[in-house]
Amino acid sequence: MKDDKRYKILLIEPSEIVATGISTIIDKSKGFRLVSTIPNLGYYKNSKSSFDIVVINPAVIDYNERFDIRSLFSNENSRTTIVALTYTSYDEDVLRQFDDCIGIYDSAERIRQKLQNAMKHSSENSNELYELSTRERDILIAVAKGSTNKEIADEYNISIYTVISHRRNISRKLGINTISGLTVYAIMNKLIDISSIK
Amino acid sequence: MDKNILYTGKMKAAELITADWNLLAVFERFNIKLGFGEATVTELCKLHNISTELFLMICNIYSSNSYRPNAEALKKEDIPHIVSYLRTSHKYYIDKSFPQLHNDIHTMMEEYEETSSRVLNKFYDDYDCEIRRHFEYEEESVFPYIENLLVGKVAGNLYNIKKFAHNHTNVEEKLNDLKNIIIKYLPGSYTSDIRMQVLHEIFKIENDLHKHTMVEDKLLIPMVAKLESENER
Repeated sequence: MKDDKRYKILLIEPSEIVATGISTIIDKSKGFRLVSTIPNLGYYKNSKSSFDIVVINPAVIDYNERFDIRSLFSNENSRTTIVALTYTSYDEDVLRQFDDCIGIYDSAERIRQKLQNAMKHSSENSNELYELSTRERDILIAVAKGSTNKEIADEYNISIYTVISHRRNISRKLGINTISGLTVYAIMNKLIDISSIK
Repeated sequence: MDKNILYTGKMKAAELITADWNLLAVFERFNIKLGFGEATVTELCKLHNISTELFLMICNIYSSNSYRPNAEALKKEDIPHIVSYLRTSHKYYIDKSFPQLHNDIHTMMEEYEETSSRVLNKFYDDYDCEIRRHFEYEEESVFPYIENLLVGKVAGNLYNIKKFAHNHTNVEEKLNDLKNIIIKYLPGSYTSDIRMQVLHEIFKIENDLHKHTMVEDKLLIPMVAKLESENER
């Protein structure tokens, strides 16, 4: 098949049971092709092929490397789409680096949707740059209501550092830096009610 | 607006204005009336008793974004002229720019539903207050301090210009937010004339304030700091 336009997927998953399951789902999905399945990163480092999407279980990444996952799959020409495959919950800082996150209990349909979204996401490359993620919206709402970083960190069970990093991204995306400016944005967009401001 | 040529004293004063109309404001603030015919910058400055170096530096600050003025080239005698220039600028902002922007924003917001107009008007009014306080602080504390310093009356070591530099809060940030909110997030299926007008005014004020801050940070503060260290000796 010369003109195979399907996106090439690499799956990195240590469990054979899970890998087989995901592989079956991908094979039945239009537009995607599972090219290779490997149990850990060691195999990836020897591989010379290129992939459009890497689906990876974050458990296979050394803890220290988890905060810079993009650099593991850097590609000179294009940005590889990276999707997490998770059995359990991970640190917010780890998950934020992925284009999407497949959960072990997701339906086949949901998995296909997520792969498509992730692909669309990185090809447009604009969503990530300009649109607020759900978490960023939540944090924006909290900031606009007058919560401190500490309060937000406690409420969402994330570190203050993560809150600050979210806030930096929010300001970059919206072009609004001051708290009162963010409040105006939130009220105008009906994210909060004027009466809910502390 | 970035003009790569730097102005010189031999240039005709009128050429500066045709090269960059933003300089009209600079001429006005130095109280140089138009109608000066073919006069060169040097001639005109002499006539108005301003140092040509200072005048050119301020014009270059306004017209070029990459220009880095050298405060060392100025003299102690130039300081009162800088202060007077800054005072006149403040007066211009407070008497003209901000009242105009205030009116236009409030007029613009009449088109919007009550909540949006209430929050945006309030956001502007808070900014307005803040910037007035900022100018007031300079007028009532910083400039008198400099004037005392010039005549050798220094009010102890309680105060120095570095402290002022530190206190020099960034008043540009809120204006920038306001600009982005009006460009990106104010709803409206059509763009009204008044919204365009408000944006033009904001861009103009933003640029003007930015250059104003440059005059303070790159000329006034280094010169006063130098004066302080001379007085200490």
